[in-house]
Amino acid sequence: MRILLAEDDRLLGDGIQAGLRALGFQVDWVRDGFATERELRAQTYSAVVLDLGLPHRDGLEVLLALRAEGNAVPVLVLTARDAIGERIRGLDTGADDYVVKPVDLHELAARLRALIRRSHGQPRDRLQVQDVSLDPAAHQVHQGGRSIPTSAREFDLLHALMLNAGRVLSREQLEQHLYSWGQEIESNAIEVHVHHLRRKLGAAAIQTVRGVGYVMPVRPAIE
Amino acid sequence: MKRILGSLQARTTLLVVAVTSAVWISASAAMWLDTRRELAMLLDAHLTQAASFLATGRRGEDEELEHGRSAVMRPYAPRVAFQVFDRSTLQSKSGDAPSEPFVPLDSQESALTTVEVKGTAWRVFSATTSDRDVRIIVAEQVAARNDIALAVLRSTLWPMLLALPLLAATVIFAVRGGLRPMKRLGDTLAARLPTALDPIPTGNTPAEMRPMVEALNGLFGRIRDLLDSERRFTADAAHELRTPIAAIRAQAQAAFTVVDAVARQHALRSTIEGCDRAARLIDQLLFLARLESGVTPDFAMLDMADLARQVLAEATPNALIKEQHLELEAPEPYPVAGSTDLLRALIRNLVDNAIRYSQMGARISVTLGREDGRTVVAIEDTGPGLDESERLRLGDRFYRGKASQASGSGLGWSIARRIAELHRLEVAVDRSPELGGLRVRLTFPSR
Repeated sequence: MRILLAEDDRLLGDGIQAGLRALGFQVDWVRDGFATERELRAQTYSAVVLDLGLPHRDGLEVLLALRAEGNAVPVLVLTARDAIGERIRGLDTGADDYVVKPVDLHELAARLRALIRRSHGQPRDRLQVQDVSLDPAAHQVHQGGRSIPTSAREFDLLHALMLNAGRVLSREQLEQHLYSWGQEIESNAIEVHVHHLRRKLGAAAIQTVRGVGYVMPVRPAIE
Repeated sequence: MKRILGSLQARTTLLVVAVTSAVWISASAAMWLDTRRELAMLLDAHLTQAASFLATGRRGEDEELEHGRSAVMRPYAPRVAFQVFDRSTLQSKSGDAPSEPFVPLDSQESALTTVEVKGTAWRVFSATTSDRDVRIIVAEQVAARNDIALAVLRSTLWPMLLALPLLAATVIFAVRGGLRPMKRLGDTLAARLPTALDPIPTGNTPAEMRPMVEALNGLFGRIRDLLDSERRFTADAAHELRTPIAAIRAQAQAAFTVVDAVARQHALRSTIEGCDRAARLIDQLLFLARLESGVTPDFAMLDMADLARQVLAEATPNALIKEQHLELEAPEPYPVAGSTDLLRALIRNLVDNAIRYSQMGARISVTLGREDGRTVVAIEDTGPGLDESERLRLGDRFYRGKASQASGSGLGWSIARRIAELHRLEVAVDRSPELGGLRVRLTFPSR
C-alpha cells in the first residue's frame, strides 16, 4: 500500500517513513504544501498522512483543494494541535482521521489500514475473496485454511487486487501501488509477481484481461 | 496609638473632636479674659461710687448706711470693706476691715491699687474728701472678682463638656456612613476569586474613590494580559515540544521495527539527534522565561567588535558544514553599555538564524558602524529573506518563516527581540541592499 507522507519536520518525517516502510507500506515523503498537492495530482495513493503545519501551503488548505477537486483519497491528519476546535475543523474540512503527535507507529499503521479498508467498502480488516483470505496487519495469506507464504511484493499485489475484487486494475495502477519513488521497476515485474501468485493460489485466482490489466473475480471462474 | 491612627474613621473622629475642643477652649479663654476685664472695670466703678457715697453720706447717717449695706451686700460682706480716716485717726470702718489703713495715708490723690493684707489680695480705692481732712478707703477681695468670672466661665463650659461626647458619637456615625462605599469596595475585593480579573464597575463609585478603582482596574487588566501571554506561552511551548518528542518516538520505534542494520543505525542516530533538539528547545524556553521574568541584567561597558568576533568564531564550524562564508567588518572598537552574556546570545541567535535559513554556500556578513554617534550592528545574508507579512510575524514565539525547511524552533527571534528591548536597541528588519537576503540592523541608544 502506497502512502504519501506530508511532514515538514526532518526527523519526524524520516522516522515515520522508516517505521511505516518496516510495517509494509510504500512511503513517499514530501516536506511542503506545494509538493503535497503536486504529488497527489500526479500519483495514486492508498492514503495520505498530512501534517497541518506545512510550509508554503497549510495542510488544511491542501486538504480543502484536494476535496474540491473531488479527490477522495483517505487523509489522516497528523498535528501538534489537540484543541477540540482544531480537530473538528480538520475533520469537517475532509480529513478521515485525526492523530495528535506523538503517535505510535503501530497505531498509525493500523489507522491507515482501517482508512484504506473503509475507502474500499470493506467493513473488516481481514479480506476474503473466493477461498483466499488476507490479513493486512499480520501480513498473512490463507487459502482454505492453509497458510500461503508470500513475498512483500506479492502480498502487496494480492492486497491491491483483493481490495478491488471484481475490478480490473491496469499494470500502471498496480505499479503505483507497489513502488514508491526511486525504486526501479522492471518492465515485466507485475507479470512475474502475478505468475508467482497464480502458482501459489491456483491459475484461476487472478485473471488477465488482455490489453487492460488484471482482476481477481469475486467468485472463482468456471474452468 | 499607631493602630488607632491607622483607621481612617478613628483618625477623622479624633481630628474633628480635637479641632472642635481647641476652638472651644480658645473661645473660652478669650471670654475669660474679656469677662475679667469688663468685670474689673465695672467693679472698680462700683468701688469709686461706694467711696463717694461714703463721703457724702458720712455725717450722722452711719446707722442708715450700715443698715442698707447689710441688706444688699450681705453675701459679699466678708469680701468688701471700708475705712474712714480723719487725718490719721480711724473714724469708722466696716466690721471685718483691719484697723490699719489698706494704703498709706500720706497720699492725697485718689487711686485704685491692688494690695495684699495678711495673705489676701484686695482691690483698693482711696480718696480724700474735698476739705482734705477725711481719707476714705474702699476695698474688695480680688478672689471675689475671680469667683464671679469663674462662675461666668463655668456656665459656658458646662454645655460644652456635655456636647463633646455627643459630638464625637455623631462624628463617628457620620464618618462610618461616609466611608461605607470604601468598606463595600473592600468586601467586593475580598470576595473576588483570584482568577476574576474583570474590571470593577465604576458606575456609582464616589468621585474620591474613582481614581483608586480605576487604578485597580488598570492593574487587573495588566495582570490579565500577563496571564494570557503566560497561558499562550505554555500552550505554544507544549505544542512545540510535541514535534521533537513525536520525532524521537517515531525514530526509536523505527529502530525497533526496521530489519536492516544500516537503517537501524540511522534511526538510532536520529533518535539522539531528536533528543538534542528537544533539549535545545527546552534551553531556549528556559532562557526566554528568565528574560521575561523581568530581572534586569547587570550592564557594563564592552566592545561590540570584540564580542561579534567571538560569536563569529564560535559559529564558523556550523557555517563550514553548509559551505557558507562568514565576514566581519569592524574597523575599530565599538564600546557600548550592556550585558555581555545577553548581547552575545543576541548576536549568536541572529547569526545562527542566518546560517540556518540561508542556502548552502551563502554569504553572511556582520558589519559594525556608527550613525549619529550611535553604534549600529547589521547582520546580513544572501539567503531567501522574508516578505513583509513574514517580517511582521517575526518575534512571535515559535514563528518560523513560510519557506522554512530548517529545524529551528522559532524561539531565537523572541529571545533576540527581548534582549534588544532590555538594551533599548532599535531593531529594523528589511532586505539587504547588498546581499539580497535578510538584513537585521541593531541600533544602540546614544550615550
